[in-house]
Amino acid sequence: MKSLQDLEDFIKSKENFRNFRNYSDVPPICRSEACMLGVDEAGRGPVLGPMVYGVAYCPIGQNSVLEALGCDDSKVLKDTKRDEILTKMFTEDDSLNNVGWAAEIISPNYISNSMYKRAKHSLNEVSMNSAINLIKDVAERGVNITEVYVDTVGPPEKYQAKLSEIFPNYKITVAKKADSLYAIVSAASIVAKVTRDHALKVWQFQEGLDIDHTKFGSGYPSDPMTQKFMSEQIDNVFGYPLLVRFSWSTAEVMLKEKAAACTFEEVDDEGTTKKPTKSISSFFSPKKEGEAKRRKSHKFFAERHLSVCNVFE
Amino acid sequence: MSIQVENNLKDTEDKQIFEQKAHYIPCKIEADGAANVDKYFEPYVTETSESELTGTFRGHPLDGSKVTFPEGYRAIVVTEAKRPLGEDADRRFQVVGGFKEFVNWNWDKKTSKNDSIVKAMDWIDIADAIHGD
Repeated sequence: MKSLQDLEDFIKSKENFRNFRNYSDVPPICRSEACMLGVDEAGRGPVLGPMVYGVAYCPIGQNSVLEALGCDDSKVLKDTKRDEILTKMFTEDDSLNNVGWAAEIISPNYISNSMYKRAKHSLNEVSMNSAINLIKDVAERGVNITEVYVDTVGPPEKYQAKLSEIFPNYKITVAKKADSLYAIVSAASIVAKVTRDHALKVWQFQEGLDIDHTKFGSGYPSDPMTQKFMSEQIDNVFGYPLLVRFSWSTAEVMLKEKAAACTFEEVDDEGTTKKPTKSISSFFSPKKEGEAKRRKSHKFFAERHLSVCNVFE
Repeated sequence: MSIQVENNLKDTEDKQIFEQKAHYIPCKIEADGAANVDKYFEPYVTETSESELTGTFRGHPLDGSKVTFPEGYRAIVVTEAKRPLGEDADRRFQVVGGFKEFVNWNWDKKTSKNDSIVKAMDWIDIADAIHGD
């Protein structure tokens, strides 16, 4: 990967309803020397587009390379500045020789499907699994990881305990706003954020909608462009194109109002089917006419959803 | 009351009209009529193994497999130009197409011979044993 164009071409070559990963080459020095690795995510909140997990790593004590790239506090950087830094990571010798990275693009369809499983899989679980798998992947590629720094939005203690259990040999630090505290997390955050921005930029609708990212905005529910997209691009039967995370309340509310009602069977927390409970008063009210007369269908037919219809001639 | 079905497609050259794709979705959809199946559903149907398919509907993960009809049976699709007002009035339908197989989809559950639509096919053999010659 030599340029942002290469990044866009790579993203375009992948099916956007599945997850995929993107890796830099491992700088040889990262195999021999002890490395620190930063983890951060981009696009957790938006109702549109993928969530991207990014990791960056370099030998401990190479903070000067990261600082030279300009990754000190990614949140205060402008989009163009972030693009510039990632381009440097793709091309400049000093960075290529010391800093490696990897990213996982988690498709909006994967997010909806996970949250709408019979036994729900929360966004936190999706996130944590992505981070864990990226770290494992990088280690498998031969990177000598000794320290891991993770940015989190939730309470750090639980996350830290879980990671320490999985990776007992690494020194793990989970912190809020880690991207402004550690340059390596800031680098990871740039990888994630730029990848997400470009994934949105090159999004192609399988559904055949002839619109691009300038018409759907940032994906944040507060963005007027996103709101317009969410209220206009509704298919009566299918709801939304798979750019949308169906499991977001913004999408749920809008579909309830503007698309055909769809009812899946209800399941309880254990993932089994639940029958609606009759209200107690229903036992006292008189039977409706016709209901009492109709013979109950035999179990054989009821199980198969078979009933007697009219005769065709 | 009687129901009449007219088949104006009997002599059609277009064989595909009776070999259309059909999907049995595990969800009650309160809509009738045309749907953008080609654009919103088909692109995401993936064959994961020889007979297993995955798909997605309204963000829900689906598992599916093809179902064929028993020997000698096939499905036809009919429409009714105008539904008569009276309950007991005669009704007329027109054949508009048909299909020879369909995909049975379950919500996040592998399909099996215990799915109601698959079991419903049992009735064909049983009915033949009871009512046949």
